[in-house]
Amino acid sequence: MTNTGFRKVLRRREFTVLGLIVLLVVLFSLTTERFMSVSNLSNLLLQLAGTAISAIGMTMVIITGGIDVSVGSTLGMASVVAGKLLVGGYSPFLVLLSALGTGLVIGLFNGTLIAFGNVPPIIVTLGMMSILRSLMYQLLGGRWISGIPPAIRVIGLGKWLGVPISMWITVVLIAFFTYFLSSRPLGRAIYAVGNNPEAARVSGIDLRRTTLFVYAVLGALAGFAGLVYVARTGIVQTNTGSGFELEVIAAVVLGGTSILGGRGTIIGSLLGAFLVGIIKNGMVLLNVPALSEGLVVGVLIILSVMIDVIRARGERS
Amino acid sequence: MKRVLDYIVENRVLFLLVLFVALFVVFAVSVPGFFTFYNLTNMTQYGVELGLLALAEMLVILSGGGGIDLSVGSMLTIVAMIIGVLIGRVGLNPSLSILLGLFAGAGMGYLNGVLVSYTGILPFIVTLASLYIYKSLALIIAVDPRFGPNPMPVSNFPESFYFVGQYRIAGIPFQVLCIFIPVILLLWLLLEKSIFGRYLYGVGSNEKAALFSGINVCRVRVTVYTLSGILSALSGWIITSRIASARPDIGTGYELQAITIAVLGGVSIKGGEGSIGGVVLGIAIITLLYNGMQLAGIHQIWQLGSLGVVLVGSVLLNQVLLARRKI
Repeated sequence: MTNTGFRKVLRRREFTVLGLIVLLVVLFSLTTERFMSVSNLSNLLLQLAGTAISAIGMTMVIITGGIDVSVGSTLGMASVVAGKLLVGGYSPFLVLLSALGTGLVIGLFNGTLIAFGNVPPIIVTLGMMSILRSLMYQLLGGRWISGIPPAIRVIGLGKWLGVPISMWITVVLIAFFTYFLSSRPLGRAIYAVGNNPEAARVSGIDLRRTTLFVYAVLGALAGFAGLVYVARTGIVQTNTGSGFELEVIAAVVLGGTSILGGRGTIIGSLLGAFLVGIIKNGMVLLNVPALSEGLVVGVLIILSVMIDVIRARGERS
Repeated sequence: MKRVLDYIVENRVLFLLVLFVALFVVFAVSVPGFFTFYNLTNMTQYGVELGLLALAEMLVILSGGGGIDLSVGSMLTIVAMIIGVLIGRVGLNPSLSILLGLFAGAGMGYLNGVLVSYTGILPFIVTLASLYIYKSLALIIAVDPRFGPNPMPVSNFPESFYFVGQYRIAGIPFQVLCIFIPVILLLWLLLEKSIFGRYLYGVGSNEKAALFSGINVCRVRVTVYTLSGILSALSGWIITSRIASARPDIGTGYELQAITIAVLGGVSIKGGEGSIGGVVLGIAIITLLYNGMQLAGIHQIWQLGSLGVVLVGSVLLNQVLLARRKI
């Protein structure tokens, strides 16, 4: 009994990713002196927080069989709003609410068009991505926002017990949403909608409400990630967050969430984000030219997914 | 009247044609300098580069199985850099360099196709990975060891290289007359008149049925990804010639614009549905929109935004009208 249980764990996608992470950590700590240092590890966590927070929402969206390529622009838009308010001297609490609110409104807009307008998710979010990018240019007028007050930067840079505050928040969010997905009715409905929409509808799940919900949550989380971004870097530019969507999607997909819907876990996505983050970090420490970072990440995505495919074939035969 | 409206809604190509004519009339009436021979021909020049990528997306998305090619922008960039480095730094013969660049594009597309068809990894993931890989390779190629470790653009081309991107024949830009229009005609023949076209639609709409009727599904998919690589390579060559410079960041962000246009043109993201006429109209509408807005003095940053509005708006309008018809 325990034997089959153990095999089940071994077969899980998360286990492959975890194995790769352990392998890389051992490799990097043997080959570089700095990798295992406290400052490097907390630096790594700082950079990961934004991706991990957005990946929570993205996991839910992809489980329903959808996709959201506008997260990068949502993060950018929220960071513009947050940056402007912060420089204007508004209270951090109000700024937090407006960053969350900006993301939430964008997510609701996406979700409404997808759920009630019957427009495919890729179309809505591609459109949203372009529209938000133009709006950001308009709001910034080609300039940067800098001079973010130090008090708020605690969210992005501060630490508690050696671990960045943004990572603590991420951990709490992940714990909450993991519980939510596995144990709450609406969480289970998200899987049902992705697995078999027709069956889900017949069994009394409100498809539209569920769809609207996942996009709204992703929007709000991306908005929060925007605030974390501003607090960490202290700068907002017109291209803030561009390319971020692919990073988040890569983390989720690497973590084993099926792009066809119905399958995936938030923990897996977190591991996916860690895998990419550790590779990037280790390569910098190994003095591998930054130019070949994409090369390694790309090859790794293909290899790790291929391991899965080959193993699935082995099981079938 | 209602019947005419129904017919237009049902036929995506007709719907786009109406949209195109309406936009054209609005710009011709309200924007000075729009309805001139020079402007109308000049604007087609800019449509070619994005247009070739949109055609590439059309082929790949049509092939179904979640088909999508996120790497077109990166393939464009790497081909631009290969051509630039071979001509500008190695000093190779321009024609030979261009040929090698096009072969490189075909090779990269082929690799995508093989990974998609024979490993069972989803196209979205394969091409996301190759987006990163090809972009990174383009940066590495762009490094000139004589000037330190940073990627550098190449701009020292011979005069003859600019022919494709900057010359006109009878007032019509060379790349439109001698590359874009022939490519559209060839693709039209391929999709509408050849057996391969029928196979492609078959594979896209029902993979199992296609497999059982003896179609080599893998070969069809490998072919479309290879074609996507070649079209991206053509686009990379033309853009390098037009702006007289090969830059290692030139194709960034193009992939999503190209997908947007293909989808606007009526290609179903699920595969097997869509026509070349629709995509060509999609390209025309976006080119027209960019040009008209520029002449009207609207800042360039709104180009992207308008693309988004047109995409979501047109599909939403279509859905709403369809839903109303059903009632």
